[in-house]
Amino acid sequence: MHKNTSRVFVLTISILILFILGASYLHITNGVFDMSVIDVVKTLLRIEPNPKFDLVIFEFRLPRIVIAALVGIGLGMAGVVLQGITRNGLADPGILGINAGAGAAVVIFMFFFQLNIVTADLNSWLSILMMPMFGFVGGAMAAALIFSFALKNGHLDMQRLILTGIAINSGFGALTLFLSLKMNAQDYESAAVWMAGSIYNANWIFVAAMLPWLIILGFYVYRKSYLLDYFQLEEDSITSLGIAVEKEKIKLLLASVGLVSACVSVSGSIGFIGLMAPHIAKQLVGIQHRYVMPASALIGACLLVIADFIGKTVFAPSELAVGIVVSIIGIPYFLYLLVKSKA
Amino acid sequence: MKKTNIVSFAILAATPFLITVVALISVMYGTKDISALTVWQAIIAFDPSNVDHQIIRTGRIPRIAAVLLVGAFLAVAGAVMQGITRNYLASPSLMGVNDGSAFVITLAIVFFPGLPNYQMILLSMLGSALGAGIVFGFGSLIRNGLSPVRLAIIGTVIGTFLSSIATAIAMYFQVSQTVSVWYNTKVHTVDIDMLLLAIPFGLVGLVLALLSARAITITSLGEDIALGLGQKTKAVKIISMLAVVCLTGTAVALVGKIAFVGLVIPHITRFLVGVDYRFIIPCAAAIGAFFLALCDVLSRYVNYPMETPIGVLTAIVGVPFFLYLIRKHGGEKRA
Repeated sequence: MHKNTSRVFVLTISILILFILGASYLHITNGVFDMSVIDVVKTLLRIEPNPKFDLVIFEFRLPRIVIAALVGIGLGMAGVVLQGITRNGLADPGILGINAGAGAAVVIFMFFFQLNIVTADLNSWLSILMMPMFGFVGGAMAAALIFSFALKNGHLDMQRLILTGIAINSGFGALTLFLSLKMNAQDYESAAVWMAGSIYNANWIFVAAMLPWLIILGFYVYRKSYLLDYFQLEEDSITSLGIAVEKEKIKLLLASVGLVSACVSVSGSIGFIGLMAPHIAKQLVGIQHRYVMPASALIGACLLVIADFIGKTVFAPSELAVGIVVSIIGIPYFLYLLVKSKA
Repeated sequence: MKKTNIVSFAILAATPFLITVVALISVMYGTKDISALTVWQAIIAFDPSNVDHQIIRTGRIPRIAAVLLVGAFLAVAGAVMQGITRNYLASPSLMGVNDGSAFVITLAIVFFPGLPNYQMILLSMLGSALGAGIVFGFGSLIRNGLSPVRLAIIGTVIGTFLSSIATAIAMYFQVSQTVSVWYNTKVHTVDIDMLLLAIPFGLVGLVLALLSARAITITSLGEDIALGLGQKTKAVKIISMLAVVCLTGTAVALVGKIAFVGLVIPHITRFLVGVDYRFIIPCAAAIGAFFLALCDVLSRYVNYPMETPIGVLTAIVGVPFFLYLIRKHGGEKRA
């Protein structure tokens, strides 16, 4: 039985990686400027380098795909953690308002440091590296608020959790709107593009800014994912296993807030990936979290690369923010889960 | 009962005075301060060549009129929804009514550009009905779906869905900018023709709400009691939802989406005047108008000389209040 599960797991992971590569292939060859496979391969392998192809691939399309994949990985993992901690399948960083908190903090940061992320270059790399940290503070504040409001007799009431999330979302949304209007025109533009949940202004500095967070925290939550299995048990039985439940929960929660903040600070608020990816992962690889975690990460990456591809091609020549594509796909799924879940 | 009467008459007597004060402030102060005398002259002896008179007539008066109407409309719509569904979280913005209206308006802008104003108002109402229909339809399909908390969740999510689809459509047909003029609260550029059209449509909604007030009070006591008293619950629901649709449809067509007025004001009103909707509805209208006018005046000064969207102001009051309601009532059913 155990051997079987791990074989299914390896198979799933391999297929997912193939999917991601396929989606990336579509993404990289299609666009305003179509390229053939041979051109792409030649450029990537540095055979007959062509400056025009270099520019399109290395400066525009590749960073965008990499960021889409990384954001998907981060949100997919954060979703698993949040659903595990709250023991509820409807938890998602976007729905709970963590995205909005991190987003407001990032806008505050842009406001005070006059950071223009659309024209970000090497001069501002230090500020870009600091953005996830600001996001983290905001996200953690939102998480603290949400959980303190949703606690009822020491237990998390899931419906209140979501409702509080809705309130926090509109509160931080209003704050963000207010601040962004105080900015000068150019900064406002960059904040607006960013807030829509988009990655079309991707560049390599963003990758550098989020990568350390993803690696360290990703590794941490993967190592701790076995705990999420225990959290599905009754509170009493976990305590009797000698696990400091509350402490571990808080550590995991903070780690997932960190993952979300790193994602939000480069891509704006993207909801529903953290909701969908864990569910799909569980259907594919079973309920053990050390399998669910990596599968969900890859599914998140896959979903986001595809969604970004849809947003870029279906709506050409204008581009639809990837966050909106994800909502259109994700909300029916959320409603489906709501129907299925027990009241 | 007696006390309720006194409080509500006090409110109804005091609000005209308060509203006049706010309205006067709203008309006199702004990017250019204009004296009360000039305002008065602009009203009684309009001189088209006087710039101040022009500002008052075409800018400030339509603006305050629109804000007062919308405040009253949304507050009444919220009160009716809360009473009829016995759901303390029911309100136009949470139940997808606003988003439904904005969705249909986007479709209209894309597929039938240049429709006359009154048709836009009608479409906006149609959209409100559509949004409410989807949310309540979905809510009644799933188990426990009409409980306050679940319905609020369904409403928010379906609202987000409708507005995402609308954004996608607007993007695809490249009319985002035209649509965003509709979507976003636009109190500072109220269309006078639209304002004049909104009055009759809104009045129909207010009259319907007042007519069903007694029945709403009975419904809010519980379905069984209502049935026991021989009430035609279905007819009451249809008429009162019609009122909600008229009111919010007009409000969105006039100034766009404004959240929290329809949630907060009915609660404050019930706290002040009790449970009788014959008093709640007029009082909610008065308090809502005053509240939104106050928010509008403040919205000019929070970030002077730039205008702040009025939605930011309503959120400052609305969000803490919303959190308080969740904390206090949780999932219980009551209005």
